[in-house]
Amino acid sequence: MREFIEVLITGFTIGIVYFLVAVGFTLCYGVGRVLNYAYGSFFTWGAYLAWVIAVGYASLNYFLVFIVVLPIMFLMGLAVDQVIIRPLRSRPEFEFSVLLATLGLAVFLDNLVLVIFGPRTKSLPAFLEGSVKIGGFTISWQLLAMFAFALVVAVVLFVFMAKTRTGMSMRAVAQDPVGARIVGIPLYRVFAITFGISTLLCGAGGILLAPRFFMTPLGGWTFLVKALIIVIAGGLGSIKGTLYASFILGILEAIVGWKLGLLWVMPFWFLVLFVILLVRPAGLFGATARKG
Amino acid sequence: MLEVESINTFYGEYQAIHDVSLRVESGALVSIFGPNGHGKSTLLKTICGLMKPASGIVRFEGQEIQGLPSHRLVEMGVVLISEERHLFPEMTVMENLRLGAYNKNARGKEAENLELVFGMFPRLKEFAKKTALTLSGGEARMLAIGRGLMSNAGFLAIDEPSFGLAPILRTQVFEQIVALRERGLSILLVEQTTGDIAEQSDYIYLLEDGRIAFSGSKDEALRDDAVRKVFLGIT
Repeated sequence: MREFIEVLITGFTIGIVYFLVAVGFTLCYGVGRVLNYAYGSFFTWGAYLAWVIAVGYASLNYFLVFIVVLPIMFLMGLAVDQVIIRPLRSRPEFEFSVLLATLGLAVFLDNLVLVIFGPRTKSLPAFLEGSVKIGGFTISWQLLAMFAFALVVAVVLFVFMAKTRTGMSMRAVAQDPVGARIVGIPLYRVFAITFGISTLLCGAGGILLAPRFFMTPLGGWTFLVKALIIVIAGGLGSIKGTLYASFILGILEAIVGWKLGLLWVMPFWFLVLFVILLVRPAGLFGATARKG
Repeated sequence: MLEVESINTFYGEYQAIHDVSLRVESGALVSIFGPNGHGKSTLLKTICGLMKPASGIVRFEGQEIQGLPSHRLVEMGVVLISEERHLFPEMTVMENLRLGAYNKNARGKEAENLELVFGMFPRLKEFAKKTALTLSGGEARMLAIGRGLMSNAGFLAIDEPSFGLAPILRTQVFEQIVALRERGLSILLVEQTTGDIAEQSDYIYLLEDGRIAFSGSKDEALRDDAVRKVFLGIT
């Protein structure tokens, strides 16, 4: 029983980190109609940048890693939006064009990692050693730090979306782009900021999860698939749905990994996705489910 | 003052607006009447920057504004109140109104304009915390108008404000629009048919097949037999 609760705690922590990754993906689609196939590569870049900074310069000071890597990720997102996505927006087949363009970008970014860092796997050392006993449960400091950091980012994101003018304008664009133009919201600026935030969130996920998984130049694709499953299960474009789906699938991952081994995680994820879509075809909080 | 000089607007191959010119003097209430699907909404969208004219000029306070991005026009004070409303469905009434004051010239006057809107539509104050999605058709229309007023506009293009409203609300809304003119706003109003708003208009245009079929003062419009019959519904 005690072991089970420890597994639950792990699952909860993975869930909140997955939420960061998945919500970035869903924001990008909900606000800017961009189904970003390079998202996994952003994840890889976040992890490798963290590795460069942590191992090379910051002597494993993770606080410094976040401070340096997250703004870089944000700027990288802005650049990708301006250079690759914005020119496509005037096209009639935007959603499809952008899918192909980001797929191309993914291939480019992955191979850039391969050229710079080589094909061998790398691993980011754990942030913190040791563990702590809380009420009879043993929790590693690493897990606790991961949880704390992810929670802070998630809370900041929620407050940002709910209270700030920029957050409100992002929601407005997602809910009615024409309405947003009518009240004078500059769409292209909102698209750019959204893409930057999305990339930043993905990078944050990359940094936090890198110590748990080995890093390879193609490792990000797993997380693109995971983000896709979470987002579809929760309802594409819905932040609330993404939150629930992240926790459900994160906890599932921890339990399956504990009982059957990590190889079984993806089959179970697809099974749960299948069941959710059978019951609610648009996902937990998807648009049509909400209206009907 | 807002001036439109021979604009043409297309949906792909289909031309919706043919060589339309009109003007709205400062502080005037100008109405465009015409049957459904004859380009009235397209004309307003073109003026307010939601659609680009293929040719022609739109001038506001002497400055050419056609082709500018819509957020620039809103900053200048050219604001559309759409017939399709385009509210933010999952936000509260209050959030919708606050977003109406998004442009930088409106932010400083947010509190003042909010009071104005709540004075006009007390129902909105009552429902401030309700989600826009849950409003009735009439309430949603009030919110759309209220949100437009939050923008601190100098020129308002209002697309069928009475559409789908109960008669009593319709009269109320028209009274409020006339009151807006008293506050110095220039208003370009679009309706399918109506008697009462024509009475209050300073100038009247009829739009048929995307062309101006008639233009003139209220009295001239009332004297014109065809206009009376077809558009004003007076026999």
